[in-house]
Amino acid sequence: MHLKKYLRKCLHRLQKGPGYTYKELLVWYCNNTNTHGPKRIICEGPKKKAMWFLITLLFTSLVCWQWGVFIRTYLSWEVSVSLSIGFKTMDFPAVTICNASPFQYSKVKHLLKDLDELMEAVLERILAPEQSYANATRTLNFTIWNDTPLVLIDERKPSRPVVLDLLGDVHNGSASSSPAPGRTCTAQGCKVAMRLCRLNGTVCTFRNFTSATQALTEWYLLQATNIFSQVPRHKLVEMGYPAERLILACLFGPEPCNYRNFTSIFHPDYGNCYIFNWGMTEKALPSANPGAEFGLKLILDIGQEDYVPFLTSTAGARLLLHGQRSYPFIKDEGIYAMSGTETSIGVLVDKLERKGEPYSQCTVNGSDVPVRNLYSDYNTTYSIQACIRSCFQEHMIQNCSCAHFLYPLPHGERYCNNREFPDWAYCYSHLCMSVAQRETCINMCKESCNDTQYKMTISMADWPSEASEDWIFHVLSQERDQSTNITLNRKGVVKLNIYFQEFNYRIIEESAANNIVWLLSNLGGQFGFWMGGSVLCLIEFGEILIDFVWITIIKLVAFAKSLRQRRAQARYAGPPPTVAELVEAHTNFGFQPDVARPGPDPGTYPDEQTLPIPGTPPPNYDSLRLQPLDVIESDSEGDAI
Amino acid sequence: MLAMAPGEKIKAKIKKNLPVRGPQAPTIKELMRWYCLNTNTHGCRRIVVSRGRLRRLLWILFTLTAVALIFWQCALLVASFYTVSVSIKVHFQKLDFPAVTICNINPYKYSVVRDLLADLEQETRVALKTLYGFPENTSRKRREAESWNSAWEGTRPKFLKLVPLMAFGQDETGEAKDFLTGRKRKFNGRIIHKASDATHVHLSKEVVGFQLCSNDTSHCALYTFSSGVNAIQEWYTLHYMNIMAQVPLEKKINMSYSAEELLVTCLFDGVSCDARNFTLFHHPMYGNCYTFNNRENETILSTSMGGSEYGLQVILYLNEEEYNPFLVSSSGAKVIVHRQDEYPFIEDVGTEIEPAMATSIGMHLTESFKLSEPYSQCTEDGSDVPISNIYKAAYSLQICLHSCFQTKMVEKCGCAQYNQPLPPAANYCNYQQHPNWMYCYYELHQAFVREELGCQAVCREACSFKEWTLTTSLAQWPSVVSEKWLLPILTWDQGQQIKKKLNKTDLAKLLIFYKDLNQRSIMESPANSIEMLLSNFGGQLGLWMSCSVVCVIEIIEVFFIDSFSIIARHQWQKAKEWWARRHAPPGPQGRDNPGLDVDDELPTFTSALRLPPAPGTQVPGTPPPRYNTLRLERAFSDQLTDTQVPAES
Repeated sequence: MHLKKYLRKCLHRLQKGPGYTYKELLVWYCNNTNTHGPKRIICEGPKKKAMWFLITLLFTSLVCWQWGVFIRTYLSWEVSVSLSIGFKTMDFPAVTICNASPFQYSKVKHLLKDLDELMEAVLERILAPEQSYANATRTLNFTIWNDTPLVLIDERKPSRPVVLDLLGDVHNGSASSSPAPGRTCTAQGCKVAMRLCRLNGTVCTFRNFTSATQALTEWYLLQATNIFSQVPRHKLVEMGYPAERLILACLFGPEPCNYRNFTSIFHPDYGNCYIFNWGMTEKALPSANPGAEFGLKLILDIGQEDYVPFLTSTAGARLLLHGQRSYPFIKDEGIYAMSGTETSIGVLVDKLERKGEPYSQCTVNGSDVPVRNLYSDYNTTYSIQACIRSCFQEHMIQNCSCAHFLYPLPHGERYCNNREFPDWAYCYSHLCMSVAQRETCINMCKESCNDTQYKMTISMADWPSEASEDWIFHVLSQERDQSTNITLNRKGVVKLNIYFQEFNYRIIEESAANNIVWLLSNLGGQFGFWMGGSVLCLIEFGEILIDFVWITIIKLVAFAKSLRQRRAQARYAGPPPTVAELVEAHTNFGFQPDVARPGPDPGTYPDEQTLPIPGTPPPNYDSLRLQPLDVIESDSEGDAI
Repeated sequence: MLAMAPGEKIKAKIKKNLPVRGPQAPTIKELMRWYCLNTNTHGCRRIVVSRGRLRRLLWILFTLTAVALIFWQCALLVASFYTVSVSIKVHFQKLDFPAVTICNINPYKYSVVRDLLADLEQETRVALKTLYGFPENTSRKRREAESWNSAWEGTRPKFLKLVPLMAFGQDETGEAKDFLTGRKRKFNGRIIHKASDATHVHLSKEVVGFQLCSNDTSHCALYTFSSGVNAIQEWYTLHYMNIMAQVPLEKKINMSYSAEELLVTCLFDGVSCDARNFTLFHHPMYGNCYTFNNRENETILSTSMGGSEYGLQVILYLNEEEYNPFLVSSSGAKVIVHRQDEYPFIEDVGTEIEPAMATSIGMHLTESFKLSEPYSQCTEDGSDVPISNIYKAAYSLQICLHSCFQTKMVEKCGCAQYNQPLPPAANYCNYQQHPNWMYCYYELHQAFVREELGCQAVCREACSFKEWTLTTSLAQWPSVVSEKWLLPILTWDQGQQIKKKLNKTDLAKLLIFYKDLNQRSIMESPANSIEMLLSNFGGQLGLWMSCSVVCVIEIIEVFFIDSFSIIARHQWQKAKEWWARRHAPPGPQGRDNPGLDVDDELPTFTSALRLPPAPGTQVPGTPPPRYNTLRLERAFSDQLTDTQVPAES
């Protein structure tokens, strides 16, 4: 019962809006609203009224438009960037060091013996020295050769190129008397190409090269990959350069360190690589001072004499600075350090911190990328390079059904080799050339939200100097090999200084350009600027709308009622309407103007209970009061206070 | 009247309530009062309704402070409107590979060009011998020792005569030893130490220099150098340019290296490439240069993988035997990474490559965009810079400066400098046609360096540019063990081009690649838009006074239109009165209220009522009853309070 009563009360409250017609309501609203324009529409003369009406309309539309602009700006999720630079104690970067040659030639000789002999034979055929067939009697292993032979394409007659297997006649053993092709044909007329076949040599393509150097290098690399992929990983590690042979001296700031401070990792391109300060097991080392004195100083021996001759033609150490717990992609971002020199590297850390969704497409740990990160086996963090490489390996396994040696091996897969997968070279070269494959991978992989780059300033000097050469080599040889003979030379030693520059960090940080506070203050600013309005004005407006609806409902109800009555009237069409009926019908407004009723009609205001003391309205006595204006006014204020 | 809508009733009431307003107000004071009471702006009302002088004063102060603050803040906002905010974006994407221009440091094969330079070489050697006692015939074996000696007897030296090299003592007495004739000679003119403005070299020993004179030899300038190495190189280059300027372009191209010769092998993105992928670009000082990925024959190549194996790998043949000993003293190649439509300023910004080394250059791309007018003084395409671009390349600041200098050179000296392209209808300078161009050039160059030509003021930077940050590292190549097989096979590759076996020091390996595909764009964007400015205005106006544009219109209406109309009316009345008094002196007199005789209209009801009793007095008796309280009113009537000023007009 209470509830009903309460509801009825509410209904009455609501009904007791400011007016009973639309016009009344509007005028009341204009007069009492806090928004600045509408009041003027009411209280000015007709010309000004029109002007103010237009102005108000214009401003309202301006406000709406600007609001639209701001809301759209907000929803575009822009970021603003702040850049800070300076020096602070930072973790020293992880330093990865590799030798340019992956293996010691003395240890892999037995594996590469057949291949090297083939290579030498090919060189002989191309270069055609005078004593060409002096040692042609040695037995070559043609099983390797026949998988992917090198051919010479004679293009001296462009209409009819002749394809010549470089070792073909030696192979057959018959045409040993024919002259070496390299003698008759030079690089201008002939090109060396690699023949790649599949389906047992029935479908073949030639991979062309413009120079024989490239062709031989690529061919050797392919064959070597083939051989090494069949060797178990631990044996490969044994064949690479051991840490104690590579790293001769190490000093971090004032503290000595040695090869045991380096974490070993096997890199397919460069063999054993050693990472200093990787931060996997222990805490990363901080560096609190700028300058070479407080950095990492290393002396390496790359042992150039023991390089695999055909595999790498460049001699030096490979070096990469990278963040802790990240995988070193040394082939992409690494730099060389030359032997016989001291290379000083000043480091500036460049950090990039992105905002994630919805501001940009980046990933925090790679879990939302549809590519399985193969490098996570190393327990490293996500990076886009890792993603792209994993993606390539995935495609490789899909297309060629074996994994490439240069990329990590997924569980349950096997590395490609000619014995088990005879078509893999053909398949791999196709995949490499495919642009679509790379595009797919780039589109699939997202960049990571936190990115650290190390900017380097590199400078070089000769080391050791001629004066100090003797004793330095002596000491280093003594330490490493415990021999009094000098086992080192200028072609092998590399000195490295890695240190922070005077300003060691630059952080580029993204933050939301437009937040909700920004949006509200701008919306408020616009509304206030044009119309002096606030949220309360909006509520006022909403209230008026409710009143509007309410009036409409009342009117509709009245209209429906009148319709029903008219229908009821229609039944007694004949007799004239009685007074009572007329009274009833007064709610129908359409009825009134037809008949001008003389005299005061008691039913004129049927629903106004308030009016009705009949007679003249009370006189405006105030107008008679004799008072000066000021006094009246201050009085009224006094009342008000 | 019964059918009158309630809305109209309200309006009628409001009309009644509102006191005199607008131009109808009798005095400005009335108008102000009305404004203060009815304005939407806060503060004004307080001034009028406050009681007490102190409080009113305070409110006046507050209001004025608020107005001042608004003006100040809005001025700050306007002043900061044309500022930019910089945003840095890094994104990973497929990148266009830049154009790479590679030059041998030595411009022309010495064996071919020697015929042209034979005289100059002889004289240089004579100068070296006389000045420093350098024995001529030991350094280069292929030179016949006596051939030039005999030639020397017959012909008079022309280069040394034209621009004599001199050695002089440091007493600066105006005595110089012309080493050609051996006698001392006086010189009149200024001594200009090269770069003496910037660095004060303490000169203690003998210095070497050369004298440049204008046409009539009355104006001479002497250029001295602290070291003979610089003096002789500068002197040699001067004459060298003279000679080369007379050689037609086709001949010069033929004298220089061909692409097949320079590039032994080439590999891009794992695919072989050759000389056909390179376009020729002839540089006056570097001879034939070759540009990779120049868009001329095909579309721009792009990289979709970072790392050295996916970039450009070339092996260059430098052929150190063919180097010009006086023009270049270093050996190697120069490489420059630039945009496809950019002119490679190889002499200004090239990276040098050492022979017998593998140089690996890792690139990072940074793109910068600036906002042009009104935010900064940069130019989009150089069309609004009053310097015509003599290069066939996109605008850059450097192009503008060089073009400006060349144009000035043609204007002042009548011929164009050899280092830069020819402007239309101009020739390169040489002795035959322009005997005193060198003096003119040196004078002009000094003026240019001192920014007296106005080039630096006129030229503006370009709004957008791409920059490749290079990380260069070196390694030994070929390694000791691979040298044995690599050199012969490279010789075979080079084929018929050369007859000899390749040497390690004739070769250089170059790797250019993107380290990763992160592109960094630095973009300027307007810090403020017009919407922001307006909303900030709105915020300020609202914060201090709750004012809006409506209020501003109000102020304009009241303070300017209405006030002026009132003042005008008063003046008109006065004028009318004065006129009336002049023509009809006897008028109504004896009025004591001075406020009223200004206004000569018919007395209004108010004024009529106010007239007879003194203000403040009341009609005696009981106050009129408050009938209003008795009235049965409708909901709206509470608008009408009984204390409103009755304003019948």
